[in-house]
Amino acid sequence: MVLRGVSHRYGAGRAAVTVLTGLDLDLPAGGYLALMGPSGAGKSTALALIGGLERPQQGTVVVGGYDLTRLTGDALATYRRRTVGFVFQHFGLLGTLTAHENVALAMALDGLGAAERRARAQDLLDAVGLGPRAQHFPAALSGGERQRVAIARALANRPRLILADEPTGNLDAGATGVVLDLLASLRTEHGCGLLVVTHNPLVARRADTVRELVNGRLSSP
Amino acid sequence: MTWTDAFRLALRDSLRRRVRTGLTTLGVALGSGLLVALALITSAADAKVVDHLGQGGPITVVRVTDARPRLGQLDSDAFQVAGPHDLTDADLAAIRRAPHVARVIPVMTAPVVELPAQGGAFTDVLVGTDLAQARLLPITLLAGRLPAATSATEVAATTDFLEKTRGDAARPQTLLGDLVLISSPRVEPGGQVLTRSFRAVIVGVVSQEVADDGDFVVPLRQAAGARQWAAAGIGSSRFPQTSSPYSGAAVLASSLAEVHDVRAEISVLGFATSAPEHLVASVQQYLGIVNIVLGSIGSVALAVALLSVANALLAALHERRREIGVVKAIGGRDRDVLRWFLVEALGVGLAGGAAGAVAGVVIAELVGLAVNRYLVAHGLGSLDLIGIPVLIPLLGWLGTGMLAVAAGSLPSLHAARLPARAAVVET
Repeated sequence: MVLRGVSHRYGAGRAAVTVLTGLDLDLPAGGYLALMGPSGAGKSTALALIGGLERPQQGTVVVGGYDLTRLTGDALATYRRRTVGFVFQHFGLLGTLTAHENVALAMALDGLGAAERRARAQDLLDAVGLGPRAQHFPAALSGGERQRVAIARALANRPRLILADEPTGNLDAGATGVVLDLLASLRTEHGCGLLVVTHNPLVARRADTVRELVNGRLSSP
Repeated sequence: MTWTDAFRLALRDSLRRRVRTGLTTLGVALGSGLLVALALITSAADAKVVDHLGQGGPITVVRVTDARPRLGQLDSDAFQVAGPHDLTDADLAAIRRAPHVARVIPVMTAPVVELPAQGGAFTDVLVGTDLAQARLLPITLLAGRLPAATSATEVAATTDFLEKTRGDAARPQTLLGDLVLISSPRVEPGGQVLTRSFRAVIVGVVSQEVADDGDFVVPLRQAAGARQWAAAGIGSSRFPQTSSPYSGAAVLASSLAEVHDVRAEISVLGFATSAPEHLVASVQQYLGIVNIVLGSIGSVALAVALLSVANALLAALHERRREIGVVKAIGGRDRDVLRWFLVEALGVGLAGGAAGAVAGVVIAELVGLAVNRYLVAHGLGSLDLIGIPVLIPLLGWLGTGMLAVAAGSLPSLHAARLPARAAVVET
């Protein structure tokens, strides 16, 4: 992952707010980077740009060989589906689907056959220790369990990079440890990179590299 | 995302908001049910009114009589007679060859004397026609059945006879099984009247418009025999003779639109005609207005119901902004989200449409029963809503589904265009 001179702002005219200014960032394949910073520093925006949730206004964002400034529409959706996997602070699980169906949904969007996705979703849930709870709905799971389901879903289409936005923000200390251990071990097991956005130094400490954003700029090289 | 995945997602989301989905579906069911019921009732009423105007037979029947037409005949539904004109086999053949004529059924009348068992004597008229083609004729069976097409011992009494003998037209079945002695009169040159009689059983009671007067409907051969016997005499004012071999004919036009042309052709051949073409046209015009008014009421109800579908989807869109964002963040395309919402709209439409179709049929049946009771009580027959056309409820069901999709298309498009960023920044 390579970001060069990325700037981004919201709004226009006098109401415009610049959230990122000339951001340069690198993450080698399979690397683990923690992006820290206080609220409003631009961490989530950086994550959204890297994840293809938003298009860069200035600069270049290249992930896994894809130049995101050139992708639009279905191509961008394909990038999100196959190259990156998201883990949200709010888990982002669909409340009307079971844990198994939530994981399988990511594969359904990629056109995987029913039998294959059923088996793979079960494998992934087993891998995060939730095999026995596959048929439970999110409302019946604890916060830590929901985040483990979200991690399983993020890995569903074998991404090259996992993007985690405050993945432990809604978890207690015990669940935080479990989720961080899981992210680290699955990253190694699946050979994908991991970018964690957090304001928690304890979470950041686990990363290979830690970068800090302040007012839309990296505070140190 | 496959259609099956979209269906599962839409179904689960609909079930998550049971009350809202239920109320929306109920609204659609009420709108669709009202429209289906009105369509069924107006279609049955149309058929009944037009049928009644056709006097029981096909509405395309043109009556022909053995008389010349007066000027302006075609402007009137009734016979406009200028003078007698014999109707022969050659004339019937000429009518048969005219354009747009589907069938020509000859009619023959003969004066007779009837001697009831309880005494007295009535001067009656036999109406002979081809009873094998009775379903094409303006003959409405009120009780019993028609005589067999070749029978010499069966007759159907008409409402004229019923009123003459019973004085109560409301109970036609009271005549069934009665024996009558029917005599054909021959007036000899000296004034003496000879008769040739046959005994017959009344097997049915009919309302007929085949001939202007008539007490008994019989096979054509029966009336021809009576005429032949009378023709050997000289006739009288009571039993007049005619030189015309046939007293009239029922001519079937190939369609309602051709009735006028057929009448014109027959007028050219020199015969007066009668057909309810102007009456049918004005009644159809009025029925058209009634249909438009009732259809508008139903359509407004359905439109309101469909707006509730759009409203429910907009509410769902508002609630699921983050979920839509998440689906997009994990790789969903605009069309995946569009499919998810459209399937939900279709589901509500089909469920409401199905309930509406059933409700519409039930409402139409209940209205039909009430109207039937009224019509029967007034001797006006009944509305046939039992044989409900399947097409109307089916179209109502499918149409409601399609309209629900149309109503939901705008919120669905809106949902499909939500940015993936909604997954992380909007709640």
